[in-house]
Amino acid sequence: MAEDQRVENLEEFLARRGQALLRTAALLTGSVQAGEDLLQAAIERLLRQRSRLDGDPEGYLRRTLCNLATDEFRRQSTWRRKLHLLQAEAPASPDATAAVDLRDALVRLLGQLPPQQRTVLVLRYWEQLNGPETAELLGCSEYAVKSAASRGLRRLRELAGGLQRDETQLHDVTARTGEES
Amino acid sequence: MTLDVEDLLRQGMERFAEKVPVPSGLARRAARARRRRLTIRAAAAAGAAAVAAVTVIAATGGADAGGSATQARTTAYVVSRVEKALADQHLVLRGRTTSGDWGPSFYWSYGPRNRFMELTDSAEPYIAVGTALIGGKLTGVYVTYYNRRWSLLPEGAAPGSACSMAGTLEMAGPAPPARNWPAFIQATLACGAASVTGHAWIDGVKTVRITGSPVTEKLSPGEAGAIHEKWVRSRWTLYVNPRTYLPVRLSGSSYTYGGPMPGYYSSGATDIRWLRPTAANVAKALVTIPPGFRHVSSPANQ
Repeated sequence: MAEDQRVENLEEFLARRGQALLRTAALLTGSVQAGEDLLQAAIERLLRQRSRLDGDPEGYLRRTLCNLATDEFRRQSTWRRKLHLLQAEAPASPDATAAVDLRDALVRLLGQLPPQQRTVLVLRYWEQLNGPETAELLGCSEYAVKSAASRGLRRLRELAGGLQRDETQLHDVTARTGEES
Repeated sequence: MTLDVEDLLRQGMERFAEKVPVPSGLARRAARARRRRLTIRAAAAAGAAAVAAVTVIAATGGADAGGSATQARTTAYVVSRVEKALADQHLVLRGRTTSGDWGPSFYWSYGPRNRFMELTDSAEPYIAVGTALIGGKLTGVYVTYYNRRWSLLPEGAAPGSACSMAGTLEMAGPAPPARNWPAFIQATLACGAASVTGHAWIDGVKTVRITGSPVTEKLSPGEAGAIHEKWVRSRWTLYVNPRTYLPVRLSGSSYTYGGPMPGYYSSGATDIRWLRPTAANVAKALVTIPPGFRHVSSPANQ
């Protein structure tokens, strides 16, 4: 099959399944744009594995997304820089919208986790994979998956707790400032 | 307020994912990026020529090379042996490159003529780079079969000097560049850009292993922009038959990185055979541009 035809077939496949893959990629990277870059890198790797293009490429792409996201420690520092900006944008309101904000904040806080912990949490809570499935996809032991998930959640709780305390303190300061003025 | 992080995280992911659009044109963009990498790789192969003299490396760094004076004498001896061997034999080099990153590749070289060709899995031509006879003159060309295009390679791209980063980058490419090999190897060993690192058994022969020092270089702005990475790190290793003074294998690897995405590693090993200069073998060292292929102004447009 000619390469151009392969690429067109791949475009058709992505029209059907690309959004699901991009959602995973975006969660792994923290933004839609970075997710597109990650997915493109995975597709580029797929293109050089020509024999895989003739079958169903979804499994390969999903595995490659996770491996690329996990392997690349450099991404973490990029993420943290972006997260700092994102966190600054988060409204510090202790009202009923706090829970919604916290949901969004938790997704952003994923980026402060080490790559493997982040990937494991995305696979568990977004892809709905269980321990053995995650271990198989990442090529590691179930113990490593459980350990990464446990440590990742613990860290998220700490980070989220800190976020809540900051919000409360800010609310108190705002309230006091309002009283004094 | 107690935190049910797991539920909130799950809900947060769903909210986040709602904003993710259907991707459009990603496969085409990825294909373009891959072709640009091929172009960069092909440029490294441009002008490749007889590797025979690479042999010199082997003996240059021979086990008996003690002090600099001894090494200089050894180097000179080996260089002369290799030069004589090549002059006597006029052999055609045929290299076959295997790599997990690319399709099967072949390389033919005879004197100033050379041809590097990558095939698809189904053994169809994919790209070719090397010399073609155009108007009776040997000219560097780059041919892409997947879109039926070809272009002239820029002239004046002299091989990198022995101790330069460019020299190593070229050695780590898919085919060794054209150069005065004895001088190159002599200089490479003298400046420490390569060293003898032991022996390795290849096809029943205990070869001498020579390893070039790894180098890192910033990609040119055009290359960096094309693949969204800034740096390339390369290294090469040569295996030489100590009896015939001919290389039997050249392996190289490169890693481009420094962009927003994970780095890109590619490697390959070229097994080298030396053939008699029959008309058929010599003809294989020339690129032929198939009729109907479109001429474009530069490899970057392919």
